This record gives sequence, structure tokens and C-alpha cells, in this order.
Amino acid sequence: MMLEDFENRVLPNKNKLFRFAFRLLGSSEEAKDVVQEVLIKVWNGRDNLAAIHNIEAWCMRITKNQALDRLRSRQRKATDPLEAGVELKAETLTPDEKAEMHEHMQRINEMIAALPEKQRQVIHLRDVEGYSYNEICEILELDMNQVKVNLFRARNAVREKFVKMNAYGL
Amino acid sequence: MDSKQIEKLLERYWNCETTLEEERTLRQYFQGQVPDSLQDVAHLFRYFEDQQQKELPAAFDGHVKPFMHRLQPKGKWINLSFALRIAAGLVVVVVASYFVRQEIRKSYPAEIADTYSDPQLALEETKKALLMLSKGFNRAQKETEKLKVFNEAEQKIKGKVLDSQKEEEGQI
Repeated sequence: MMLEDFENRVLPNKNKLFRFAFRLLGSSEEAKDVVQEVLIKVWNGRDNLAAIHNIEAWCMRITKNQALDRLRSRQRKATDPLEAGVELKAETLTPDEKAEMHEHMQRINEMIAALPEKQRQVIHLRDVEGYSYNEICEILELDMNQVKVNLFRARNAVREKFVKMNAYGL
Repeated sequence: MDSKQIEKLLERYWNCETTLEEERTLRQYFQGQVPDSLQDVAHLFRYFEDQQQKELPAAFDGHVKPFMHRLQPKGKWINLSFALRIAAGLVVVVVASYFVRQEIRKSYPAEIADTYSDPQLALEETKKALLMLSKGFNRAQKETEKLKVFNEAEQKIKGKVLDSQKEEEGQI
């Protein structure tokens, strides 16, 4: 793969990779680093790219793995074991990013950030990025059934939150 | 599309039965004005739309592209210089082994060479050499015969010892 090819087929996916990494890490700085690492990884392995039929899904998969590696090492680094499992996602938005986001949006953001990891990945890929079920299977290395179950649970968790919010007038 | 249809579509959305196309329709619908009952869901779909607009800072390419440019020629250069190094090494080994072979040939003249041109003379010389060899053997044989004396002496002593032992046993 030549540089031009790389710029036409891999680089245009950078924002999707960034959003996915951001969804997993909750920090735009770290998400940016992950995208950079992924692009360099893909570029270094460019000789093997001919065998990959869906480069975009493949890049997304590398992004997922790279971001999860980061999450794990972040948890290992946490000195206080009580803090290791703390959900960092919604809290790590910068003040600017928070101000930018409408109140309703913030609430939904928190709802999605509170979902279990797999559900968060699936709802992001389907409802934000609009990937087909087959592509999501490929990206997350899951079978169709797992993808559908996770999406169903994620959407219904959000729906239940709405019902609760209306019931208590929150 | 009226809100009744939308509600039906939504119900299918919650059950994960909608196609991508239908989900796009929902998203488009919720970008506009919606009845109060659908406000929450509208926020959700607007959130999805909003999230998809999120992009890397413009300066990002500036960080990554030089890296790609730097890596590209470097990769090829490494391959070429690597091949050249191997070729140079091979040339040195071949040339050196040729000269070493030449030197070895000069310092060690061939060991087996003809010394006589006349077959008759060669035969005489061979006979002489063989004769000398057999003389040596004969002399050695004579010397070894002396050893027989020792052998005989040993036998005799053994015999005597046995006899005296028998005599002693007889006395007892």
C-alpha cells in the first residue's frame, strides 16, 4: 500500500476511530493518541492490507483493542484498588466539552456511559455510526446473537431510564 | 410521516427490529419539531446525530502525516542497504577464499610425484627398499627368539612349584 492509497482508504476513517475510542475511554486526549497509534500500526502493517476486505471495520477493531488495552493499563496503574473500577467516562469531559453539550445531551451521555462495556460499544456502533449488524460482529469479534442481545439491552436500559425520569419528574 | 407511524417504528426500534434505513428515517424525523410525548426520544436521536459530528482537531493530520512520510522512504532504504550489505559480504568471502587457496597451493607442493623415469631402475630401487625392510624384520625376529628363553624358564619354575605343592599335600 502506498501513501496515497493510505490517505484515500484509511485516513478518512480517522473521525470514526476517534469517536469510538472516545466512547471507550471518555477522554479526547487519550482517544487522539489511540487513533494515532492505530494509524501508525496500520501503516506499518500495510503490506498485509491486501488480504483485508473491509479496511474500515478492521481499523475499528484495532481501535477497540488498543483502547481496551489502555483502559486495562489505566486500571492497573490506579494505586488505590477502590478507585480501579470507578467509571471515569462522563467525568473526564473537559469543562469546555461539558459547556458545549446541552443538558439533555449530558444526561443521555451519562446514561450511555453507565452501560456495561459491550452494550456501550454496540449502541455506539449501531446508533451513532450506523454500522450493519454484520460489520458490528466483525469489529467486536462477537456473533450475531451476542450483538443483538447487547443492543437490545442497551436500548432498553435507555428506555427504562426515560420512563423513570418521567415517573419521578426528574 | 405522522406520529402514529413514528410510534410504531419506535416500538420496533426498541425491539431491535428496525433496519438501518428505518433508523435513519427516525433520526431525520427527530431533527425537526416533535410532539411533547416524543421529546425524550427526540433528545436521544439528536444525541446520536450530535455525537456523529464529533471530529478530531484539524491539527491532527499535521501530527500524523509527517510520520507516514518519514516512514515510507526509510522502509525502502533499509531493504536496499540490507541487500547491498549482504552482497558486499559475499564478494569479500569469495575473493578472500580464492587468494587463500592460491597461497596454500604455493606453500605445499604436491606430495606424490614421479621420481624415476626408467621402469627398470624403479624396480631395482623398490627391490632394494623391500630388502631393507625384510632385513629389519629378520633382525627383529632373532631378538624376539631370546624371549622364548624367558618363557621356558617361567614354565619350568611353575612346574617345580606345582610339584613341591603336591609333595607337601602328600605328606599331610
